[in-house]
Amino acid sequence: MIKRPVIFGLLSTLSIAIGFLVPIEKSSNWSQRELSLLKSLSISALPELPPDLTNNVSDVEAAAELGHALYFDVRLSGNKSVACSSCHQPTKYFTDGLKIAVGTSQGLRHTPSLVGVAYSPWFYWDGRKDSQWSQALAPLETSHEQNGNRLEIARLVASDENYRQRYEAIFGKLPIIPALPITASPRGNKDQREAWESLGNSQQAQVTKIFSNIGKSLAAYQRKLIPGNSRFDTYIDELDQRGLKSSPIMSTEELAGLSLFIGKAGCVSCHNGPLLTNHEFHNTGILTVSGQLPSMGRYDGIRLAREDPFNCLGKFSDATEAECLELTFAQDTNDLVGAQKTPTLRNVSETFPYMHGGQLEDLLDVMDHYNKAPTSVLSHNEAKPLKLRATQLRQLEALMHTFTAPLSTESKWLKAPE
Amino acid sequence: MHLNHYPQTIISYLFYSVIVPTIHAEESPDIVVETASGWTIHIDSEVSPLRINQIHSWRIEIRDSNSALVPNALLEVEGGMPDHNHGLPTQPRVTAEIAPGTYLLQGVRFHMPGRWRMQFIISTKDQEEIGIASFEL
Repeated sequence: MIKRPVIFGLLSTLSIAIGFLVPIEKSSNWSQRELSLLKSLSISALPELPPDLTNNVSDVEAAAELGHALYFDVRLSGNKSVACSSCHQPTKYFTDGLKIAVGTSQGLRHTPSLVGVAYSPWFYWDGRKDSQWSQALAPLETSHEQNGNRLEIARLVASDENYRQRYEAIFGKLPIIPALPITASPRGNKDQREAWESLGNSQQAQVTKIFSNIGKSLAAYQRKLIPGNSRFDTYIDELDQRGLKSSPIMSTEELAGLSLFIGKAGCVSCHNGPLLTNHEFHNTGILTVSGQLPSMGRYDGIRLAREDPFNCLGKFSDATEAECLELTFAQDTNDLVGAQKTPTLRNVSETFPYMHGGQLEDLLDVMDHYNKAPTSVLSHNEAKPLKLRATQLRQLEALMHTFTAPLSTESKWLKAPE
Repeated sequence: MHLNHYPQTIISYLFYSVIVPTIHAEESPDIVVETASGWTIHIDSEVSPLRINQIHSWRIEIRDSNSALVPNALLEVEGGMPDHNHGLPTQPRVTAEIAPGTYLLQGVRFHMPGRWRMQFIISTKDQEEIGIASFEL
């Protein structure tokens, strides 16, 4: 007779205890505002990739095929051992898993993923490049990346029968590349710069034109790298107008993380749109890279982009001046000191470590960083401390894993060409 | 000095600006702002409804309190998110008066969801008018 009340008493005590452990949803439905925001994050909201007006061959299949071959070709590097694919590895979502990239020597920045970046108006962590093809050119001649030089690269394309035929089919007949000097570049070492000066204006223009076309082909290939449909997207796409939260597709913990992501944690302020990035630059108080001066970030980046001979307004661009809106109207104020580009969160669980110098090892470190929002070494941290509990940080971390999916890119592009 | 300037700032703010009710971009692609003197600033966005992460232009028509178009004005536009204490990611500016009283503002881009506030400063040889729009993206 007395057993039943005791059992009820135990059950109610247990449910109260469980109530403390398991977060209770404030509402079983997303609000219309939340629903609208969530729909905007789904990969199904990603528009078709717009043409790159600076690159006439951006969507030419033959250019993508040439770029595909060049992307995996170590002969473009100074020591003939480093290709684009050495750091942007297909098996790691086009990253390398290292804190700081290692090309022909130790680099300065963490390797960002190339997946979906064709949608961005800016490239590099500091946005120093305003097109994908002009970005692709830079590592080829950067001493710690591929350490190549444009004369030798142009000669490779002209002398390799396969490359020459493909190039000429797209861009027209190649000029004769002089046998000497062996190496030359305006961005090279002292000998290479002197050799470049010895070429004269006409040959310099011819070689640089070939070099820029190589960049445009590399970009045509990299535009193929598009993120795929993740569990997160399936969850959003299956939400109906009522926006019932619970679903077998995502766990209670992941859903709690999603509530924080678009709510109290404010992640969606910068990680928005179907690529989970606003392609903009923010100072979030990330520690200086060990052994380096604090990075000026976008403050320097926009100035470098404006000076870049390969920018949208330059003579190698295929865009008209009126089409260079991003470069023309870019912000350049002091607020950009120390600001780095917002990376995509697509596949973020597989692209560790994190931040421009790989300063944060894992996702929990990232959550912890934003929870504390430390003072920035330069200028100010735009983020404010979140004051979330450890459980909530784990919920956010759980959510991050739902952003990962195989690319929607055809498999032939995800390995070296046959 | 600060005490002398502070009330003046408040007064001029109240005199010049009228904050229109928050506009949800999905509901109304156009934004109409009214200044304290009854001038209207009508914004026709190239991107409609307004959305984040896309650079675009606005056609801005300015009429005075008698509904007459206001040509040859200097129009400056600033914007930002008051809740986040930051400005626009771009520096939009008027690049042409495409018809008398209608101005082309280029380089507009928003990069975060939330409440945005845009300020329009109109200068003619006779007067200055300020209008403020607030809307949610």
